Parts: sequence; structure tokens; C-alpha cells
Amino acid sequence: MAQFDHLAEKVLRGFASRTSRRSVFSVLGGFLAGAAVLPLLPVARGGESQPNAGSDANSGQTAPQGGTNPQDPGDPTKCDYWRYCAIDGSLCSCYGGSVNSCPPGTEMSPITWIGTCRNPADHRNYIISYNDCCGGVAWGRCACQNNQGDRPVVRPQNNNEVTWCFGTKSQSYTCSTAIILGVAIDQK
Amino acid sequence: MRSCTSKAAPIAIGVRLALIAVAACAAAAHASTAEFPAPLPAETIPKVESLPAKYPTGWSFLNYSGDRIELRNVGSDSREVKGQLQAHDSATLLVPDKRPEIYVADTVWSRGSRGVRTDFITIYDTKTLNPLGEIVLPGGKRALITSMEGLIAFTDEQRMALVFNFTPASSVTVVDLVKRQVLGEVEIPGCSLVYPSGTRGFSTLCSSGTMLTVRLDANGAVAGRSESAAFNPMDTDPLFTASTLVGGIRYFPSLHGRIQPIDMRGDAVKILPDWPLVPAADAAGHWRPSGWQIVAGDEQKQLYVLMQADAHEGTHKDAANEVWVFNTATKARIKRLRLARPGSSIALTHAAEPLMLVQAGERLDVYETGGNLVRSLDLPGFHTRMQIEPVR
Repeated sequence: MAQFDHLAEKVLRGFASRTSRRSVFSVLGGFLAGAAVLPLLPVARGGESQPNAGSDANSGQTAPQGGTNPQDPGDPTKCDYWRYCAIDGSLCSCYGGSVNSCPPGTEMSPITWIGTCRNPADHRNYIISYNDCCGGVAWGRCACQNNQGDRPVVRPQNNNEVTWCFGTKSQSYTCSTAIILGVAIDQK
Repeated sequence: MRSCTSKAAPIAIGVRLALIAVAACAAAAHASTAEFPAPLPAETIPKVESLPAKYPTGWSFLNYSGDRIELRNVGSDSREVKGQLQAHDSATLLVPDKRPEIYVADTVWSRGSRGVRTDFITIYDTKTLNPLGEIVLPGGKRALITSMEGLIAFTDEQRMALVFNFTPASSVTVVDLVKRQVLGEVEIPGCSLVYPSGTRGFSTLCSSGTMLTVRLDANGAVAGRSESAAFNPMDTDPLFTASTLVGGIRYFPSLHGRIQPIDMRGDAVKILPDWPLVPAADAAGHWRPSGWQIVAGDEQKQLYVLMQADAHEGTHKDAANEVWVFNTATKARIKRLRLARPGSSIALTHAAEPLMLVQAGERLDVYETGGNLVRSLDLPGFHTRMQIEPVR
């Protein structure tokens, strides 16, 4: 993991100093799209997933949305849903979106950061992309603060305090999704 | 209390009952007049409060995640709000002691959450909190990150402001606060945040584990760069980006419990030897620093660090149980203070007898530095991160 991080930094620092903003977006987009097939940065953390002791209880104003798939258990309107192990923000499931879609009237940022969460049903570690939805109405409903694998913003690709609204018409934050990119490959 | 009014009664209860009610009101009015023979004086319209030129050191700015900035009297049981400053998105605050001004960097869109983006610094008058002017920051680059240390800083004796940008390319916009104009932009690829260093310049933490230092000339252009050797182990025990400056030395706690001092006074920063926060005897308690604004320093060069027991992966931003106080000269822990409520942000007032301010959920708890809780203030509507900036 460390070697991959160093490689990623070297590549990104080089691009950042030589390349225009727009082409950085496209490179980063491709970099993240590749996450589904590569053993990526936070993979080794998945096994450490634990119940979140510090998250705020959400508002309780949204009806539970328990899924029907027993392999994807939990309520995506609650902070303790398994995919939210590294989320810091408001849940799109409470604003008219879902765990993997943005609410109407917003735009999903193609650039984001990723975490790894363990599914309690199948006990696999999944790479989760926390794409933010941008340009809509935000007011703190279903605010969650989970930090599995979060790291200081010095490595922004591992940080959940950044408003990940890049390449969108508006950079104003609305809410966050938690999208499965693929199964993480455990490092031995 | 229901008032004695003449217009509501007839509708509700009819003429007869209304007469009875009027009589009752008249009797009550007579008794009240006897008790208060003089009426309240007429009051002036309009009237707007103003603030003293020099704020008391018992006051503190409270930045509610960049959404709201409040000036609060934390040093008195009156606990009152003294004023508020506009804040919209990841707003950051700079308060100089060399000019009667306050600076807030903020971002808005022309149609609420959409439309044309504008990043700008508003210059406020200290006494009136009226805007004196603004400096528009070009490019829509200002980092939109939950308000925290390192997003904005002074340098050059408070003449310049440094604004951290993230697009996600990293750069710093250099602003002349006296002339109220942007001087330029410095690219800092792979590095994040700004910490003032030397006489005119800044240092920034890089993802390779180094610290990049940039010297500026009088026009805000780059006069030199130097990069330290790697000292920040990003893979194993990275430094928090929160720090405190004590005697020209900046102290950064690490996620697993070291403290990393860096001498920021020279044109080339000096990375000093780190030392552990957790004594060997307490290792079994799995203590680590945690929270948001996790460390404060005082005039005696003591560090106050928010510490959490039974810490593990993912708890580094959770509220802390205790404050550990360290003597930076001896590197020894000299006090352990149990918090009344778990706290996430800590600061010390700059009064002769400092108070310790700890944000704990929707409360701001005010302690004596010996650990005695003296008062607690409500923080209505607060649910995320707080940056506490006591008045100097």
C-alpha cells in the first residue's frame, strides 16, 4: 500500500505541476475509475472496520429504507450502515437520492476519495467511492462522521473533510453517496 | 401572559363578557400603575450596538464549521453573543492585532448553491463589524474544506494573507491586506495547508512526508524554496494538521501519540526531535490524541492536548476524554485533566489567568487551567466541527 501511495503521489505531483486543471480532472477520473480493478490505497484497512463510536445520530426525520437484499444489510439512512464506515457528511438517502445516486437537481462529482468497508453479510471488503452531490440544498439532515481509514488532508485522496465537488457546475456541497466500486483484494 | 387588549375580546366572548374583561384589565392596570408610577422611557430608533476598539481577552471567536462565525463572551457568566460575522462555505477567519480589522475568507454562489462562484476576503471594522472592503480571490480555487487551521494565515508582520487553494491541484494565493489586492499565486504541488514561517513566507506539509518552505519577496513573488527531508510518516503515524505555536516552535501531534516540534522562526525551518505523549506506564490505556482542534499552548510553553482512551483506527476525530498538559522544556506530562464532557476542540484564552475552552457536542465548556469547570455555554444548531479563536 505504501509503495502504491508513493507512486500515486509522484504521478499526481508531476501532473499537478505540468498539466492544466481540466486534464488533471480527466486523469484523476481515469485513476479513480481504475479503482475497481486495482488493489487500491485503503485495501488493508478493511479488516479493521469497527462500529463507529463517534458518529452523530442522524436526525431520524427520514423513514428507514431497509433494503431487501440480505447481502446488503442495513438502513442507508443511518450512519451505521456498513458502507458509511468512512463517510463524513450528509447522507443522500435522506435528500431524495440513495446510497448510490444523487438527489434530483444536483450533480454528482466525478472526482472523489475512496475508502474500504467490510460487508457484515458476506464478510468481504469492498472499495467504496464517496462521490459527493453538488449544487443542491444542504442543511445537515442525516449528518454522519465516520472516519475508518480517513487520514489528514496532507493526503487529500484519503481525506473526508474536503468538499469533493470538482468538475461540477457548482462546488457547493449537498450530500454524499457510498458507491461500491468492487471487492478489495486483501493484502497478505 | 395574555395581555389586556380591546380588539380581540369582542370576537371571542361577546359584548357582555368583553365589558367584564375590560373592567378587570382596568383594575389590574390601576394596581400596576401604583407599583410602577413612572412609565418606561421612550427608546431611540434606530440604535445599533458597537464593540470596544480592543476586545477583552475573555471573548472568543467561534467558527461553526465555516457556516457561521460568532464573537462570544466566554469569560463571564453572562455568556452573551457580542456579534456575528457572515459565513457561507468553509469560511476562515484572521484577526490581526496590528490593525482594527477582521478578515473573513468565504465563498458564495450568485444563486445560492449555484450560479457564479466568488471567493473573497471581507474586511470588517473591529468596532462596528461593518464591512470596510473586500478582496476578490481569482479563479474559484479557495479550498472548500471544513474550517481548520492551515487554510489561511498571516505572514510578513500581518501585511500579507496566505489562502490555501485546492482544485484538486494545490496552490496558495498571496494577498496584500494593506493595499487590499491579490499579489499572486504560488503552486505547491502535492502539498497542503499553510503555516507561516520566517519573516515573510510559509511552510506546507507534503504528501511525501516532507515540509516545503517558500520564501516570498516584498511583492509576494517566490524568492526561494527549500524542502526538508521526509519526517512525517504518512503510512504509519501521520501528523495531524492541527498544531499550536509556542515560542516560535510549532507542535504537531501525530495520530498515534507523538509530538513533532518544528522551529518556524528561520527562513529554513528546523525539524526538531519528536517525543512521545503517552508515558510507558499508560501504554495499556491505548491513549491517543483525538478531536478536531486538538492542541493548544500557553505563555508558559505548555501544551494542552485532547487525549482519548481506548483509541483505535477511525477514532482520531472522536471526542476526547481528557486533556494532558505537557512541559515542552522537559517533555514531561505535568497534568491530567478529566473533562466533564468529551471534547473535540480546545483553545486557551489569552487572559492573564487563561481559561481552557473545550467544545463538547453542542456545548462550549469553560474550565480553569487546573481543570475546574466554571461555566458551560450552549452552541445552538452546532453539529459538526468547531474552530475556537480566543481574542488576543
